[in-house]
Amino acid sequence: MNVALILLIVIPLGTAILIPLIDIFHKEVRKYLVVFSAFLEFIILLYIVVNNFSKITNGSIFLTYNLGGWLPPLGINLTLDMLSLYFVALISTAVLFLVIYSIGYIGHHEGKYYVLLFLMWAAMLGIILTSDIFNFYVFLELVLITTAPLIAFKRNREGTEAAIKYMFYGILGGVFIFIGIILIYFNLGTLNFAEISANFNMLPLNIQILISIFFLVGLFIKLGIFPFHFWVAKAQSAAPSPISALLSGVVEKIYIYAFLRLIWNVFGINVLQDTGMSKIIIYVALLSSIIGHVLALYEDDLKRMLAYSTIGHLGIIIAIVTVNTKFAIMAGLLHVLSHLLMKISLFTSAGFLLQFTPSHKLKDSRGVAHENISVFSGFIIAAAGMMGLPPMIGFFSKLFIVRSFINSSFYFGASLVVLGSIFSFIYYSRYITYGFKKISLGSPEEFRLILSVLYREKVVKNIALLFVIAVVLSGIFYKTVFCPLEGVYNVLENPSLYIDLILGG
Amino acid sequence: MINNFVFVVLFLLGFYAILVKKNLIKMVIGLNIMEGSIFFWFITLTDRGKMIPIVNGTQVASQLNDPVPQALILTGIVIGASTSAFLLTLIIELDKFTSSTNPDQIGGMIED
Repeated sequence: MNVALILLIVIPLGTAILIPLIDIFHKEVRKYLVVFSAFLEFIILLYIVVNNFSKITNGSIFLTYNLGGWLPPLGINLTLDMLSLYFVALISTAVLFLVIYSIGYIGHHEGKYYVLLFLMWAAMLGIILTSDIFNFYVFLELVLITTAPLIAFKRNREGTEAAIKYMFYGILGGVFIFIGIILIYFNLGTLNFAEISANFNMLPLNIQILISIFFLVGLFIKLGIFPFHFWVAKAQSAAPSPISALLSGVVEKIYIYAFLRLIWNVFGINVLQDTGMSKIIIYVALLSSIIGHVLALYEDDLKRMLAYSTIGHLGIIIAIVTVNTKFAIMAGLLHVLSHLLMKISLFTSAGFLLQFTPSHKLKDSRGVAHENISVFSGFIIAAAGMMGLPPMIGFFSKLFIVRSFINSSFYFGASLVVLGSIFSFIYYSRYITYGFKKISLGSPEEFRLILSVLYREKVVKNIALLFVIAVVLSGIFYKTVFCPLEGVYNVLENPSLYIDLILGG
Repeated sequence: MINNFVFVVLFLLGFYAILVKKNLIKMVIGLNIMEGSIFFWFITLTDRGKMIPIVNGTQVASQLNDPVPQALILTGIVIGASTSAFLLTLIIELDKFTSSTNPDQIGGMIED
């Protein structure tokens, strides 16, 4: 029993409930409250890390909390192992800085904004920590219903359209996952991850395949993998920039976590490998990746271009982890970190740069570099990481991905990753050359009327630069990031250990 | 057997509504039919034809129906109701901007 685990979920949830109450009395207190709780969350994460440091270094950390004191498999229990810890650390750090960014960025209806943001944060942590499949589904739908209003937050036509589309796809994905859960309960009579995992391979093979397909389709709809990618660009371009960063950098990573946890620890990767389905997943993901990059190539809107590049990178991550060698999974997990940092820094700097341009179009960004050279060079550094140039973290993760594709003689995948890098070089340099074009910029005041948000520039600028620094620093010290991933790999490869730890403790 | 058949028919009916209908509200109704078909299917699947699971001390567990599916379905209904309520408010909002509920004006569901 470890109370810190429940606090990780309760603090954002409690903050979301507190914000409207605080708003009644004094609106100025709100921004201190949100930063305080974001830091508190971070401190609890640090407390967990420091208290279990020796266990983390050898990868054997395992904390558990039984809700209401009911032991598993009867009750719902929260668990934290290396895989969960990795994702909790990524998400809590990223959201902390995005909350600070939002204080400078969002200028209207801030109360509603933070309520939704903190609810979404609580739901994301819930997905990561829970080890009950129905609880997992509830948190998944909570992420959906809190993200959609944030997409429509500007209350203009594009936002509403994007949110409707996002909701339709999200609910459809949820329906498929729900059918999978029903099949699991009907066949196994349990909802606990560990018990499902222990009994899953006793089921007839066709039922196993059917359940896996339902979960995979549901998760791929929510991820926006190729046949279901239609909502991604719209949602990420219509949302305010910090929400685009959250959607692309953080929320999509939750579904990657769900994919890893469900397929490796709960269903077992053997089902997919024995039936040849893992090959199909790899090809679908690679196809999705290349389609994302090609669509980004044709795009003339900055935020839509970034959104399409997200599809490209998520496809690569899904493909490389499904290859399922030790090095491949570690490379995929490193790319989760590198894509999170790079895409958040791109979206946050884009959010700053777009306030000086009349629209999101690439050709409207002419001359934007001259006025804001610091943020623009930050954008270039992050984009260089996306192209896979050293010393950014993107270079190392892409290098490891290509190497592990080649090691498992998957030359097609390796060449597609390199092709994607070349494509991203082309489309990012299009924006960068527009930015450096010499055209006198109109006064920012007249453009600002077009946008529905107000800015307090300094915070926005500094946080954007902070993420860029993180991209470079994590690239230089890539070994400190890469080595702990061995513990994550061990969690994924030993579902029996996971079962013992949950049911035994 | 009949419950599987009804489930498939209702599910495909809902799916048909989402794919074909040119009205966002009808598409939401389609989504609701899909969700409803799953709830119905799950309840009938797990019905063992036994007593209502209210324990008053005189029954034993083997005489009672499994109460877990009903709890799950109640949660599912709540989720479905809230998501479709929110979707409908978004459609009202869209109607204010465009004065119509045709999905084609938001680029259709399979274009971006």
